[in-house]
Amino acid sequence: MKPVTRRATLAALGLSAPALGTLSACGGGTQPTGGGGSPSSLSVWALTGAKQDTYQASFDAWEEANPEDPFAVEFFANDSYKEKIRTAIGSGSAPTLIFSWAGGTLADYVDNDSVVDLSGRVDDTLSRSIESINSVGQVDGAQYAVPNNDTQPVILYYHTGLFEEHGVTPPTTWDELMTAVETFSAAGITPLSLAGQSVWPELMYIQYLTDRIGGEGAFQKVLDGEADAWSDPAFTTALERIVELVDAGAFGDAFGSVSADAGADVALVHTGQAAMILQGSWVYGTFKQDAPDFVAEGSLGFLNFPAVDGGTGDPANVVGNPANFWSVSADAEEEVQELAIRYLNEFNLNEEMVGDFLAMGAIPAVTGLEDQLAALDDGEFLSFAYDMVLAAPHFQLSWDQALPAAPAQELLTNLSQIFLGETTPADFVAAMNATLAS
Amino acid sequence: MTTARHSRLRTAPSNWLLAPALSFFGVFALLPLGGVVVLTFFAWDGLGTPRFAGIDAWISVFQNPVTLHAMWLTLAMTALSFAVQFPLSLLLGTFMAGHQRYREAYSVLYFLPLLFSAAATGIAFKALLDPNFGISRAVGVDWLRLDWLGSPNLAFYTLIMVISWSFVPFHSLLYQAGVRQIPRSMYEAAMLDGAGRVRQFFTVTLPQLKYTIVTSSTLMLVGSLTYFDLIFILTGGGPGNATRVLPLDMYLTGFRSYQMGPASVIAVLLIAVGLLLSLGLNKISGSDTMDSQMEGA
Amino acid sequence: MRHRNPNLLGGVLGTLWLLVILVPIYYIVITSVRPREDYFSSNPLSLPSELTLEPFRYVLENDFLRYFANSTVVTVVTVIAVVTSSLLASYVIVRSRTRLARFSQKLFLLGIAIPLQATIIPIYYLIVQMGLYDTLWALILPSVAFAIPITVLILTNFLRDVPGELYESMTVDGASDWQMFRSLVLPLAKPAVVTVGIYDALQVWNGFLFPLVLTQSSEKRVLPLSLWAYQGEFTTNIPAVLAAVMLSALPILALYILGRRQLISGLTAGFSK
Repeated sequence: MKPVTRRATLAALGLSAPALGTLSACGGGTQPTGGGGSPSSLSVWALTGAKQDTYQASFDAWEEANPEDPFAVEFFANDSYKEKIRTAIGSGSAPTLIFSWAGGTLADYVDNDSVVDLSGRVDDTLSRSIESINSVGQVDGAQYAVPNNDTQPVILYYHTGLFEEHGVTPPTTWDELMTAVETFSAAGITPLSLAGQSVWPELMYIQYLTDRIGGEGAFQKVLDGEADAWSDPAFTTALERIVELVDAGAFGDAFGSVSADAGADVALVHTGQAAMILQGSWVYGTFKQDAPDFVAEGSLGFLNFPAVDGGTGDPANVVGNPANFWSVSADAEEEVQELAIRYLNEFNLNEEMVGDFLAMGAIPAVTGLEDQLAALDDGEFLSFAYDMVLAAPHFQLSWDQALPAAPAQELLTNLSQIFLGETTPADFVAAMNATLAS
Repeated sequence: MTTARHSRLRTAPSNWLLAPALSFFGVFALLPLGGVVVLTFFAWDGLGTPRFAGIDAWISVFQNPVTLHAMWLTLAMTALSFAVQFPLSLLLGTFMAGHQRYREAYSVLYFLPLLFSAAATGIAFKALLDPNFGISRAVGVDWLRLDWLGSPNLAFYTLIMVISWSFVPFHSLLYQAGVRQIPRSMYEAAMLDGAGRVRQFFTVTLPQLKYTIVTSSTLMLVGSLTYFDLIFILTGGGPGNATRVLPLDMYLTGFRSYQMGPASVIAVLLIAVGLLLSLGLNKISGSDTMDSQMEGA
Repeated sequence: MRHRNPNLLGGVLGTLWLLVILVPIYYIVITSVRPREDYFSSNPLSLPSELTLEPFRYVLENDFLRYFANSTVVTVVTVIAVVTSSLLASYVIVRSRTRLARFSQKLFLLGIAIPLQATIIPIYYLIVQMGLYDTLWALILPSVAFAIPITVLILTNFLRDVPGELYESMTVDGASDWQMFRSLVLPLAKPAVVTVGIYDALQVWNGFLFPLVLTQSSEKRVLPLSLWAYQGEFTTNIPAVLAAVMLSALPILALYILGRRQLISGLTAGFSK
């Protein structure tokens, strides 16, 4: 007992001295020790989940071809990744390949010179992917990021059994949607399952509604930082429509504690407690995993978001996650950057990777998949989603990703208050306009 | 007395033995304490280096309705969670102090919530209170089918409930220990005077528990300023801003919106409230308990 | 205090509270042995149609043991550092009347009065600048600093009860500070050290904010954070999440069964006086 304590005392005394030394020694330089990337060798962080194996296989293939330069690969859960990558970049210990959703965060990285301009250096990988999605990886016309996985449009799923039982037609217009809402509500079924606790699923409503009502231009003005951009009538009308839905009981009375992380929103549909759900294409996998029979017997239907009468937006437009993206860290040494770029051109979204994504029921963001998709087990769903993306003149990235962090948080908070009936469209617009000024 | 002081002087150990504790505390508590004040005058987004910004952060915080609401919520949560926890803990502690068999057995079980970390408690209650798949479905009672954590009017009170569930056991342990230290003769004397159970409680138990009450209340009140983990996991400050108390507001402003300047202002507010509260409580309690404890009185 | 009639009202209310305490715990236990398929369809408080340990297997396969090891390392190192440095400091504070000793005493009292968690932003900055971000040191160092004030308070209270003559006699024998500390202070303070050690260990073991802000990778993840992460990763697998909750409480449960008295005195260290 005693010798242990003595050693511990020495350790305790010894600890603080070097720690103080480090404090004065580094005024913000690069610190490779933080568990993140090292500037002198290849490293990459990606997300856990179904696609983890695909990335791993791709990096393994690279390692086989380049045994001298393997990737140090690390996987994170979605939420923790988003919070942590920023710190790593801020402290100069970012991985060589930076995984992102493009949008506002990518713009921040570009502002901080944290990522490399890839224009003209990644043409091989760009030639494989879908053009409208490639353009999401551009900042001020320069290519800073390239798509690296599947495209994830937001889809209106519905329970075909419940629709037949209550004689409702799958809605393609706003009026039909409202009719469906009234019918199901009267029958004691939640018309639209909504994960209100997660808040971000609420964005899908305002995004689709704004787009259908006023087109993609309204939000573009916000991104451009125009004064009072949120005063565009498209936003106000969209918010009023949301209030209309809430008042009609479209989301039931308990959406506030339904969490998307726990998949409870999806469960409500396959257990027959809710009739529809507006969610990303990724929840198709959750349906299949949690309720294989439900999907197999064809009970899951899918639609694009209904058109809104008198709206000026193209009803073929799509919102969601165009794809995830790779950027190359500017903190990495030149040779390492070159290696990473070579990986992107030779291995990113190559045939093997595309095959892997298709096998798991994801739609890689590449062109020319029509025939392959139709032949798959989930061909019906995959072709539907793929055609939806190819046919879309505009693919709107999720607003919370497109905006810088602070306005994005403000948006989520205000939006959740709209759904809860705690704020009015006018106050929402005023609060959001205030974020433009700063 | 004089010999004691004399001996102290002669055998006083070297001040160097203070070095480890002081250096840890200095670097990782005092330095950050000063740092948080300094950071309120800087703009920093978590990337790059902080940039001097004058009193911008202070102005923005005091003009921000979200933070003002958070202050109000923090006060309400402090008051309400105290109002629930204090009588519950006091009564339970007195109950547990009894030596009846069943009470001792109950006390063993009352302890169970203390086995779970705030994170574990939060996650368990989140599943339990799910309106669709949780307890509401277990019991066919309509009033249980509420949106416990999802309704802005209800979430705050639900949190108070969960907070009480996880903290009352600790405080009742304190009271149990306090009651058991009360000499039995005092109760016997009271009984001879014909005092019933209720009067004994008010004339003997309560006055004798004075110090326990001060300690437990201080911990309850100051502790309620730092409820973070439980709320973070259960509601994340939502729905809307309904449970966004100051610690949550600080975290979300700093590590979600990356506005470290305003987040530091909120931190300073928290520190100020905490300091005022503990000093105030010491004043009210009449005796400076902490000092008197330090002096070994 | 023996009453002629039993306290009926007290018994009823006590039993009610027992239910309030037990229902959530029963729910955790029962759900953690429920097959995943049953979770969405069966009554959450009913006994599952079949008991399964599948959720536990699932958790253990998902790096639970690594997080457990991380938590253990952080807790053990922190407690050793806190108790050692605090015991040295308390020894000086009790035995010395120099200005520094009195100043230190006041300083640590201040540390108790302030919600130190509010300094998380500068701590984050400091840790990043030190290059310690996402290491276990990032958790240990601030945890030590935060635990020192209360530990010092409890230990000084205890050491004050040691008669001065004991120190006196050893000084006469020519013992150095170090010998005095090892052969007198340490053995004398042992019961208080156990109590306060348990208290500090529980605080660190359950800590959430530091791991949340100061670490990122799964390599460095500790238990409370892993529970939160599981909730996101396992999506609809609630039984597995609650199995992880159960497993995370096991060490404390073991401590409770082995040494209930010590655990309780550790929990209420210095507060129930």
